[in-house]
Amino acid sequence: MSDTITSVLSDAAEGVIDRRIFWDREIYELELERIFARTWIFLAHESQLPVSGSFVTTNIGSDNVIVVRGRDDVIRAFLNSCPHRGNRICHAETGRTRGGFVCNYHGWSFGLDGQLQGMHETDAYKAEPSFDFGEHGLVPVAQLDTYKGLVFGCLDPDAPGLGDYLGDFCWYLDVLLDNQDCGTEFIGGCIRSVIDCNWKIPAENFAGDALHAGWTHDSGARAMLDAPVPEWWGKESYQVNVNGHCWEFNLDLVGNASTFGDKRLNRWIRSREAEVEARLGRIRSRMLGAFSSVTVFPNMSFLPGQQSFRVWQPLGPNRVELKTWVLVNRALPDEIKEVYRKGAMMTFSPSGVFEMDDGENWEYSTRANEGVVTRRQKLHYGLGRDSRLDHPELPGNVYRNQVNDANQRAFYQRWAHLMAAETWAEVPKS
Amino acid sequence: MSRAVSLCAAGEIPVGGARRFVVEGHEPVAIFNLGGTLYATADKCSHQRASLSEGEVDGDEVICPLHFQVFHIPTGEAREGITRAPIATYAVCVDHGQIVVELP
Amino acid sequence: MTSTAMIHVEIRHEVEQFLYREARLLDAEDYQSWLALLTDDVHYWVPGVQNRARKDPLGSHAPGYMAYFDDSKFDLTRRIKRFTADTAWSENPPTKQFHSITNVEIYAAQSRDELTAHSLTTVYRGRYEGSGDILYGRREDTLRRVDGELRLAQRTVVISHNTLQSKNLNTFL
Repeated sequence: MSDTITSVLSDAAEGVIDRRIFWDREIYELELERIFARTWIFLAHESQLPVSGSFVTTNIGSDNVIVVRGRDDVIRAFLNSCPHRGNRICHAETGRTRGGFVCNYHGWSFGLDGQLQGMHETDAYKAEPSFDFGEHGLVPVAQLDTYKGLVFGCLDPDAPGLGDYLGDFCWYLDVLLDNQDCGTEFIGGCIRSVIDCNWKIPAENFAGDALHAGWTHDSGARAMLDAPVPEWWGKESYQVNVNGHCWEFNLDLVGNASTFGDKRLNRWIRSREAEVEARLGRIRSRMLGAFSSVTVFPNMSFLPGQQSFRVWQPLGPNRVELKTWVLVNRALPDEIKEVYRKGAMMTFSPSGVFEMDDGENWEYSTRANEGVVTRRQKLHYGLGRDSRLDHPELPGNVYRNQVNDANQRAFYQRWAHLMAAETWAEVPKS
Repeated sequence: MSRAVSLCAAGEIPVGGARRFVVEGHEPVAIFNLGGTLYATADKCSHQRASLSEGEVDGDEVICPLHFQVFHIPTGEAREGITRAPIATYAVCVDHGQIVVELP
Repeated sequence: MTSTAMIHVEIRHEVEQFLYREARLLDAEDYQSWLALLTDDVHYWVPGVQNRARKDPLGSHAPGYMAYFDDSKFDLTRRIKRFTADTAWSENPPTKQFHSITNVEIYAAQSRDELTAHSLTTVYRGRYEGSGDILYGRREDTLRRVDGELRLAQRTVVISHNTLQSKNLNTFL
């Protein structure tokens, strides 16, 4: 297994990837330790936690966690497992609790700060000389931090802070999160589904796969626009990546947003261009609703323009749970918010006319590796090996042309660095 | 036969605060100060034996610190939570600078 | 408000036949005929379902939240355009669909030319090599008589899981 992992580094540089990383259970188990238990994972948007007691439950890899806003307005996160006998404490996926959380098994109860308040027959424990209530609270997630509305958690106390982890990629994230003073919010609700594929396949797709759009999604484009997806080769476009976080984009301002087929949205985005250019500069203003896609390593992705925000939660080497939300600026007119709400679900949800064709591609790209001989064939990730350029304005590693595999190669290089490193100290910057 | 019991000086319970009083021959009593108006309830949660005066006061409700049962302070009504059993409430007033509760 | 007064047996039969015929048209992918069963102002709503506590005032689903379908007739038409496109790769080979409609109850609605119909929908979809799934939903329909014929004016389908147990929803429920 370690040979497979180390070979990924040299493979990626040469533009090939070993299929076993999408299939092997051993590699998956190591991913849970070295990727999901060590990196910063998206947990929630602050708008999902509006008041004291608001909570969501979600996963960091295979660990289920509660994320809750305390009485002091501080957001905290804890392992969703009672320290007594391990039972899951909070079964609801979201909501608001007035006081805290109570385990259904023995009534162990925990305040919004995770402290143990008591249990059924509390007197028995009070009478126990060695029992210290202060030592049996909920286990906190080691690190928690927020970037412009996005709450991230990390189970590794020795991991670099969120700022270092995201690095210069924050410059790009501001296109989504900071193009207006008001900040962002999720539209209410969440659409969840399962796909029988390896989590890295959709994550890499959003990291850098502009190429598939014109072929996979032809039927979706014809449904929404009566026209195929335009070809992008030759137009000014880029792939950029920092620490394995990836954004591929055009500068057409409305390429993704246009897929709703709703002129009100295109007009709205165009009306904001000057204001966003004054705030973020010309290039970022042109990215606003452009033909593009993003992955924040390892498993958070979004589509600017459709405003579809998602995580790929691993459920095994061949299964993911996809959770999708719609992220919008808080101060949007209601009419435009409604266009985004309906349009995002019409295009990119399990019933979405675009997304419907992705699932099968990803499932069968994963399943094919069941074949022992098939699994020995390397996959081609060699597009754009000479496309690197120094750009005067764009931070990070920059490549000409969004029809490219550069971001995918960077994604797997980051993956291999983390998988091969026993500690964060051994992980090189990329 | 009800009796008036003097508990403490008025002003000892801050606005938004609560305090527990042990009264001879009666279950402990909690006094709440909601926006300057005093209310008296049983201190013991109707679910188990936790002290409601140690719970969080949220508006005109108190949340039991043990299993987070919510009670409406003015009426003793059990609202969100595990039990529907209300808590007793008592008349309370300020008389000659003292908080006085009327107990059965 | 609906009346629980007994609906005439002929109307009951007509509604049940309408629902079964609708199901057969979906199984057959006869989407144009299916669209013709809908009123022009139809609202087709399959909300996202969330696992919230019983006491949560929002409940498991709510209008204006995320949904699998929150469609007008125009929206449904666009979906059908994709289903019938030659380049809908995941529809070729076709999915075998079976819509099973059960537990039909019919009540008078507020408007004289409308009825409320409750039912359960169970949709079996088979792709190939054993790949397939079953989706369950509880439906509440408003049926309206238009030029003497029943048409679907409003449908709400609440599915059984907060996580759809499938990669896509390439059908109507």
